[in-house]
Amino acid sequence: MGTMTVVRLDADTLTPRQLNEKLRELLASGAEAVVENPRSRHNLGVALPGPGHVTFKGSVGYYCGGLSNGGSIAIAGNAGWGIGESMANGFIRVRGSVGQSIGASLRGGTIVVEGDAGPRAGVAQKGGVVVVGGNIGFLSGFMAQRGKLIALGDASDGVGDSLYEGNIFVAGRIHGLGIDAVIAPPMPEEIDEIESIIAEVGFPLKPREWKKVVAGRKLWYFDKREGQTWLKV
Amino acid sequence: MCGIGGVKLSEPGNIGERLVQMMSALRHRGTDSTGFALYGPWQEDRLIVRLRVADRERLAETLNRIEAALRQAGGELVSPPTWDKADRARDAFVRLEVTPTVDVERATAAWIALGPSASLRVNSVEVHSFGHSLEIVKDVGDALAVAERHDIRGFTGSHGLGHCRLATESEVDVAHGHPFWARPFPDVSIVHNGQITNYFKSRRLLEQEGYQFSSDNDSELISVLIADRMKHGQTFEEALRYSVTALDGVFTYLLSIPEGIGLAKDRLAIKPMISAETGGVTVMATEEQAIRQVLRDEITTKSYAQGEVVIWER
Repeated sequence: MGTMTVVRLDADTLTPRQLNEKLRELLASGAEAVVENPRSRHNLGVALPGPGHVTFKGSVGYYCGGLSNGGSIAIAGNAGWGIGESMANGFIRVRGSVGQSIGASLRGGTIVVEGDAGPRAGVAQKGGVVVVGGNIGFLSGFMAQRGKLIALGDASDGVGDSLYEGNIFVAGRIHGLGIDAVIAPPMPEEIDEIESIIAEVGFPLKPREWKKVVAGRKLWYFDKREGQTWLKV
Repeated sequence: MCGIGGVKLSEPGNIGERLVQMMSALRHRGTDSTGFALYGPWQEDRLIVRLRVADRERLAETLNRIEAALRQAGGELVSPPTWDKADRARDAFVRLEVTPTVDVERATAAWIALGPSASLRVNSVEVHSFGHSLEIVKDVGDALAVAERHDIRGFTGSHGLGHCRLATESEVDVAHGHPFWARPFPDVSIVHNGQITNYFKSRRLLEQEGYQFSSDNDSELISVLIADRMKHGQTFEEALRYSVTALDGVFTYLLSIPEGIGLAKDRLAIKPMISAETGGVTVMATEEQAIRQVLRDEITTKSYAQGEVVIWER
């Protein structure tokens, strides 16, 4: 690839729109960008193309990496709500923790969080992979239709509520299942796949007791004999 | 939406400037009104009152009637009334210092009953706060506009709250702006982000206990609910925990008393809250970018789970 120039941008001196326009240009050409002073602002690095790379030298606010279709993003601090929302393709790595709804409606690509994720991680996920090194919050995986949500830590209450065909893998403790969520034993080949994903994104491999949360499928069809289940909704 | 925030200092210092910066950073969450609950030094020998008089042209006459009603409620002015310097405004924001002998509810009710101003078709007097330490300043507009008119930036104290409002449930006017004072409990204030769905029932129950409300805003209810529980012997924490199950809806609120700031979050974890603490400064806000206004450097922040209750004591 030859020598790659790193372009430095200062978020203190640019509006989010100006910053995003520059980032789109840079990433489309395969360049590497570094954004200083993100200061937890919203909507940074939205709708990025591949194949370039951007590093945010601090925390970002809501929707970072949302709607992207390629490229990779590294966030040196924390991130707010909706990180990688509706992303079609690409890679996001968050060094710290994230707020609510990481990977909401995610369609493809991979999001990695080294810390914890807030409530509703992977809500309505439609594809792709979300890996959380720590714990996942209340109602994680809510209504997920496809894709994988992987937590190396614990899952808070309500995990997998109203699931479709999304799969949630939890290595730690599950504090409570959501409505119509059940724990199924993961197949050996599924464990192999999960472990190869987490090794690839750099988490150490060690013996883990994987639990897989899937839909109990009782909410998929209305059955009046299951009325009690519906009343809980 | 709405944005809320709070600052607590280990040693008294500037809270006004910090809160203004935080509320400016949250202005995209609402600019219908902005307000501040500021806790200055405790003054045992007086209560500070913050009022709004709707008709500035009749201010002098209204102040005379306010003072007469104050006497009837067992209080005296400690110093002459002062008010904001926006001479062209239609309304006036008045600050009184009164003797603590006053019957707070009686004075409040009497002032509000001074009657509607014919020209503006609104009550001529709103009572925003009573406190040995607390002063509530709120007005329509964004943080910069409110700070400018009401001289917020220079305020020093131990802690305070801020709010910027996007109205969802009640009127867009000063009276329905936050923070709210827990009438008639001096020094109790609240800022709230959310909606309380069992508001009318909870309000009726409190009204049966004799409480009067100054607005139709659900946030005012929470402050009275908490203060009432504490009056009946619950600790601050117990009262906050009670609210998490007693209130339906989605909410995250910050409730302040002279001893510190409390947080309670609903059981669905819908409304956000982030906090950070460094070098004797504790900051909490709806969004992390508000915290970054006060604590510019990257530091560890904390977020909160469903049904969680936290108290930051002074």
